[in-house]
Formats: sequence, structure tokens, C-alpha cells
Amino acid sequence: MPKEEPTYPFCPDETKYEKLAKIGQGTFGEVFKARDKKGKIVVAMKKVLMENEKEGFPITALREIKILQVLKNDNIVNLLEICRAKATPHNRYRSTVYLVFEFCEHDLAGLLSNPQVRFNLAEIKKVMQQLLNGLYYIHSNKILHRDMKAANILITKTGKLKLADFGLARAFSDKLNRYTNRVVTLWYRPPELLLGERNYGPAIDLWGAGCIMAEMWTRSPIMQGNTEQHQLTLISQLCGSITADIWAGVDKLDLFNKMELPKGQKRKVKERLHGYVKDQYALDLLDKLLTLDPSRRVNSDDALNHDFFWVEPLPQDLNHMLSRHNKSMFEYLAPPRRRGPIQQQQGAPGAGPSGGPGGQGGPGGVRPAGHNPDQHFERIF
Amino acid sequence: MAGNFWASSHYQQWVIDRQDLCRERQHDMKHLTEEEYQKVMILFANVIQALGEHLKFRQQVIATATVYFKRFYARNSLKCIDPWLMAPTCVFLASKVEEYGVLSNNRLITTCQNIVKNKFGHAFSGEYPYRIQHVMECEFYLLEMMDCCLIMYHPYRPLTKFCADIGSEMELLPVAWRMINDSLRTDIPLLYPPYLIALACLHLASIVKQKDIKTWCAELSVDNDKVMEITKTMVSLYEMWKIYDEKKEIQPILTKMPKPSPSRPPSETPTMQDANSQQQQQQQNQQLPSGGV
Repeated sequence: MPKEEPTYPFCPDETKYEKLAKIGQGTFGEVFKARDKKGKIVVAMKKVLMENEKEGFPITALREIKILQVLKNDNIVNLLEICRAKATPHNRYRSTVYLVFEFCEHDLAGLLSNPQVRFNLAEIKKVMQQLLNGLYYIHSNKILHRDMKAANILITKTGKLKLADFGLARAFSDKLNRYTNRVVTLWYRPPELLLGERNYGPAIDLWGAGCIMAEMWTRSPIMQGNTEQHQLTLISQLCGSITADIWAGVDKLDLFNKMELPKGQKRKVKERLHGYVKDQYALDLLDKLLTLDPSRRVNSDDALNHDFFWVEPLPQDLNHMLSRHNKSMFEYLAPPRRRGPIQQQQGAPGAGPSGGPGGQGGPGGVRPAGHNPDQHFERIF
Repeated sequence: MAGNFWASSHYQQWVIDRQDLCRERQHDMKHLTEEEYQKVMILFANVIQALGEHLKFRQQVIATATVYFKRFYARNSLKCIDPWLMAPTCVFLASKVEEYGVLSNNRLITTCQNIVKNKFGHAFSGEYPYRIQHVMECEFYLLEMMDCCLIMYHPYRPLTKFCADIGSEMELLPVAWRMINDSLRTDIPLLYPPYLIALACLHLASIVKQKDIKTWCAELSVDNDKVMEITKTMVSLYEMWKIYDEKKEIQPILTKMPKPSPSRPPSETPTMQDANSQQQQQQQNQQLPSGGV
């Protein structure tokens, strides 16, 4: 191995930043808030964990790097640079790599878990408009995010929304594909993935957008399944039974016959959400995002054209609302909480956590639901 | 991923000026002539190609690995890291970046051992010495050196488009395609953007196939001088190949090639390494008969 130390004209040393606090745990490592010692700019540093040493430099980190170097948009988290820590005995002579991002004060899960933070309808519109705009941008660049959830939606203190965590993202093509379906945090996972589809597309991210949109009112994830089977049951109870009549070809999916799919369920998206969401346009857009058949689910372009965004009250900047909160809010930092009772809907989960054929009883192979175990979420449905 | 070449790190950071390239190579040029250096690069492009073919990679992945290799040595002397280690490391990284799927560690090293033994015995004597932990350590150096610029644009895609436009997919495409593969044996991928390389190879293919594409070319608005430069470099490669016998000639060149001092990997080096012992090692190195590792 090298004796003659190669010189690195590019990657700066991590000591250029001063770590301030740990603020999160990403797909492949810890995240710190840090400050540039010279410029005093505040950044987020994501440490690349070398946990699975068998694969060398983690493929999730490689994906995030290569994808974020290409994607540059107001609604996508901005990767500033990559820096490294020198090899020392402390890291077993393997240098550590950090991805350095612009700093965002909040994530959506953190904001939603704080009852002090209240979004009015115009502000919810602004959140959703920016979220869909980010999705439109990545999808038109042929990238799937594959891990939509409130904790991966960052919001700056001036109210700019940024899609983050591209550790599961990948490029897609319009040809027939065989991607892994073990992606997306269970609670935000669309029915096609739960049924074993491997030739999926941008519609998977729009299902997640629908879940997040509902969460803007419910303040907790709307479908909190324990297993793939349970998740499908919850979906059927909200969106109606999954049949070939409303979703052509669903019966051809690998797991269609292996999963227990509730029969005779009526679609109740609008009715069930009406308790939280009073706006008719919002309900209509939610209904279109939470469409079972991915080929008929609304895409980001059409969603942005939906009347929801174009009738009064028009989308309104979050700047003013957020200026009342000077503390950073991240899901990771949120204290365990238990809120007062909110209107509980009927319809307890039918199937228990028995685990379907695809499930090993856990919420999916990728990683657990990704929520702080201390967190308590109010059950919505 | 479509992406935009003009906004890419490939275009902004990694289309290098020829003078820069020469300056960076000065050190190696004390030991090797320019032609000998090129022959070393050809050898390792061949090693990467053979590795990729054995691992059933698409040509795109092989091309990416080859350009990674070139990028590293465009900024570093051959003595920084042994190219026999760098070659499989580039293959390892490219397989991940191009989403080939995860390559089993055993398979990479075994393939290396087999290829070195069966195909490159003329260049490498003895057992292949590196293990996967060396590759992973080397991967870090490679990533850092490239500033994590991983996305690579290759001439294959523009070539396919040009040929479709001319309507000569059957005749010119396969010939020009192979020429692009050959261009990986030169500095061309470091010096020119891929669409110009594609045009130069198309131009050469049209001459070989005696197909007139002048009217099509006339409508292009590109830097023709650059296309001619590439064409010339390709022609001189083919001239050289006519008389070059790698099996006979490469061994003495490799003997002259500057090499890493035979030190232990950093992870096994004692922490108290003073300048004194380094000097001693260097002296030892000079006395050692260089040759195969």
C-alpha cells in the first residue's frame, strides 16, 4: 500500500468544521450540526458509517453522493462538499468521510410533533407545493427517492422545504425493470411495493407524498402498520379493497395471492380524513395521491396543477409562522411525548402482527420504521 | 439518470488540459519515456478490460473503471499506489457506482488471481499479493482523489445517437464502438468531452468503411480541430500497435516503472514512524532488484 502519500487537491479535512451537536441518524450514519471555522457558515455533516465493511465504501453513500452532485434545485437538499478525517489509530487507519450539507433548522416530523407549531391551510399548501415541486424535479431527472417520510423533509428557518436523505434513491428508466421492493419506510410504503412489484416508478414517491400531506393535519403518520400484512390491511381499510376491478393487473403481482387482503371494503379516504381535513380541495388531492393503482395515481406535475394550490387561500410562505419558533426542531431531538386525545376513528386493525409471507415480522428489510423508539405516535386509523 | 453533461463534475473538473497532464506526469517521466508510460497505461487498461469481461460487466462499467484508473494517475505518480492494486479497486468502485450489483469480495480477488496468472503472466510473476482489505483501503484513496466525482459520461451514448441520425447503425456503429474501446488505451478520455470522442471515432469508422458522411458532418457545429486531434491520437495508437508486442516488451518497462516502496500498509505500520526509517527503506528499495512484485 501507499508509502508515498498521495496528495489530495480536493477533499478538505473535516477539521475545517467544528461540530456543535448530533442532530440525527441517517440511512448510513450520524448527522451533526457543525460550523465552518473560517466562514462561520452552519452546516449539517453526515458521517459515512463503515458498518458493513464487506462492501467497502457503502453503496448508499455512493448513491447519495452521485445523485446529489447532479441534482441542484431549491427544494432538494444542497450537498456542499465532501470532506474526510485522516486515518488514525482511532478509526483503524480507515479515513472517515463526511457529506457536508447546507443546514436546515427543522424536519417536518419534528415540526409536526410540536403542538406549538400550527400550520394554517395556506401554509400547508406551501409545504405541499414545495414537496411536489421537489418530486417533479427529481422525477424529471429520472431519479426515484424511495424513502419519502416526514423525517426526510427538511425545512429551513425561512420556510424553504428540501427533500433529503437520498441514501435509497436510484435512477430509473421507462423500460421494464427489476428493482428491489424492500424500500420505503413501512408506514409510507405504497401498495404496489407491499405486493411485490419490482417494476415500479415515480408513483411510489407520490403515495408517500399523500401520506405526508394527510399528516399535516393528523400530526401523526396515518397508517402505522406493524408488518407488511398489517400495512396492507390498514391501506385496504382506508382506500378500499385491492382488486383487479379497480387496479388492472394487480392479481399478477407476486404477493397478491400470498397476502390476506380484506374484501368488501369501501373506499373511505375522504370520509375518514374529513374529521381532520375540512377543505374540499385538499380532500380531493389526498384522494388522488392515495390512489391504489399506481398507473392512475396523480403525478407530481398534475398534482401541482390541482385546484388546491390555485384557489384562495393561496400558498403562503412559512417564514412568518416559523419566526415565532427559534428552536431547531428535529424528530431525532423531539422529547418522548404523549398528546391529549384527539378524535379516534373506529376501525381497529383487523389482522394482527402475524407477518405475511414477505414479512419477517419487522417493518421491512431496509430498516425499521425509522422513528425514535421513545416516540409515541397517536394512532390515527 | 439523465443529468446534464455541461453541469457535471466530469465536464467541470475532469476534462484536463494536455499541459496540466504533462506537468503532473513529470515525476514518472524521469523514469519512463512517454511511449513507455503509454504502454504501462495500455497494460492496465487491458487488465481492467479482462477483469470486467470475466465478471460479465457491461462495457459502460468497464469504461468507467478504466477512466477512474486514468484519473487517479493523472494526479499521482505510479509510485503512489501500485497499479496492480488500483486496477481491481477501480473495478470494485465502478461496479457499485454503475449499479451493477454488489460484487462478492471473493470473486473479485479470485478473478484477479486467475487473470494475472493466465493472461498477464508476461507482466506479473508470482502470486497476486493483494486481498480485499487492500482494495477497500485503496478505494478510499481513489474516492478522495477524484473528489467523489463518480458520474462518468462515455462516448457510447452520443455515438449511438449519431449513428441513428445518419441511419448507419449496422455499418458504422460497431466499428466506431470498438474504436471508442480503443480510445480507453490513450489519454483521450481525460482530455476531451465524450461527444467529440464519439465524432472522431465515427469519422475514422467512416474512412475504414469507405462511407461518405461529409454532408452530415458539414452540418455539425463543433470544434473540428479537437476532432482532428483525437483522430490523430487514435491513428498513432494504431500505428504503434502494429509493431508493439506487449508480451515481449512490457517486462523491462515495468522494471523501470517507479514503484511504491515495499512498506507495510498504513494500517499495519507502527505509529512511531520517523523520517529516519523511511529513508532507510528508500535506500533498501534502491538496492532491491526491482521486477515483478
